[in-house]
Amino acid sequence: MKTLIIGAAVISLAFTTCTSGNKQNSTESMSKNTSETKSLEAGAGTTSTRRIVDSYIKLKNALTEDNDKDAANAGYELVKAFENFDKSSLNQEQAKEYTDIYEDAKEHAEHIGANAGNINHQREHFETLSKDVYDLVKSVGGAQKLYYTNCPMYNNNKGADWLSETKTIKNPYLGRKMPRCGTVKEEL
Amino acid sequence: MLIILAILLIIQFLQPERNYRLEKTEADISNLYQMPESVKAILQSSCYDCHSNSTDYPWYTSIQPFGWFMAYHIREGKSELNFNEFGNYSARRQKSKLKSIGESIRNGSMPLSSYTLLHQSAKLSKEEEYVVLKWITDIQSSSFFKK
Repeated sequence: MKTLIIGAAVISLAFTTCTSGNKQNSTESMSKNTSETKSLEAGAGTTSTRRIVDSYIKLKNALTEDNDKDAANAGYELVKAFENFDKSSLNQEQAKEYTDIYEDAKEHAEHIGANAGNINHQREHFETLSKDVYDLVKSVGGAQKLYYTNCPMYNNNKGADWLSETKTIKNPYLGRKMPRCGTVKEEL
Repeated sequence: MLIILAILLIIQFLQPERNYRLEKTEADISNLYQMPESVKAILQSSCYDCHSNSTDYPWYTSIQPFGWFMAYHIREGKSELNFNEFGNYSARRQKSKLKSIGESIRNGSMPLSSYTLLHQSAKLSKEEEYVVLKWITDIQSSSFFKK
């Protein structure tokens, strides 16, 4: 009888501590479904990095507006874009570089997708993701003009970079608090 | 009531697979980066249950469905980060993981509060946080990490 009571107590404790995890999962699967339909419409197997860069820019713009939900959706879209990229057109060196970047960037995009409601965490992953996409564009090409921009103030003045489709500064790390903080350091 | 008891009894026989591998892998993080004993002790007590190949199972994880929740956490944890397989990550991913470990500790999201609730000893004190964070920044400023 005693073990049953202890067991029941432990079980109910487990339920309370794990429901927050379950809630996250249901939002995750919801956003995953919307981005899945989007990519099915767009068609799979592209040899251009266009879709990757487009999703990245979408994500960047969502962050400039402090919109964590749109950022999450763009994050999942970016995962799909990476998955649908066809690297058969790349030479051996580029293919190796692509796989290296893909394994890392995909995880950051997934984390961004799973963290609507936590824009700070999304921005942390966006920082490394930006470096990944920059390396990708440098190695494989970006299919459009991009501006590698730096914000010196983000993260206790450690600073961070992002890729922009425009020269006009709109800061994804500081969002609406300080939208014009940044300088273009490289044109791609 | 009887049905609930019956279900509870039946599920006790559905034990999830245990996470337990004895031998130290070549890809273990301590083979890559110098790891002081103090850091090793903290990681093992606060992180390794979910982020390694060897989990230290407490008695109540033999009770279902609690064992399943634990198995779920371990599966999720290992897929995110596995200290025993760290050397199998590319240099790029290793950098990302180290950054994420630092951030998770700094913002308190790791170790999971649901985990430390039941494992008080896994809670990181301010000193332990400092020790691990310093170890990470040391690695990050080492020559291997500079681009």
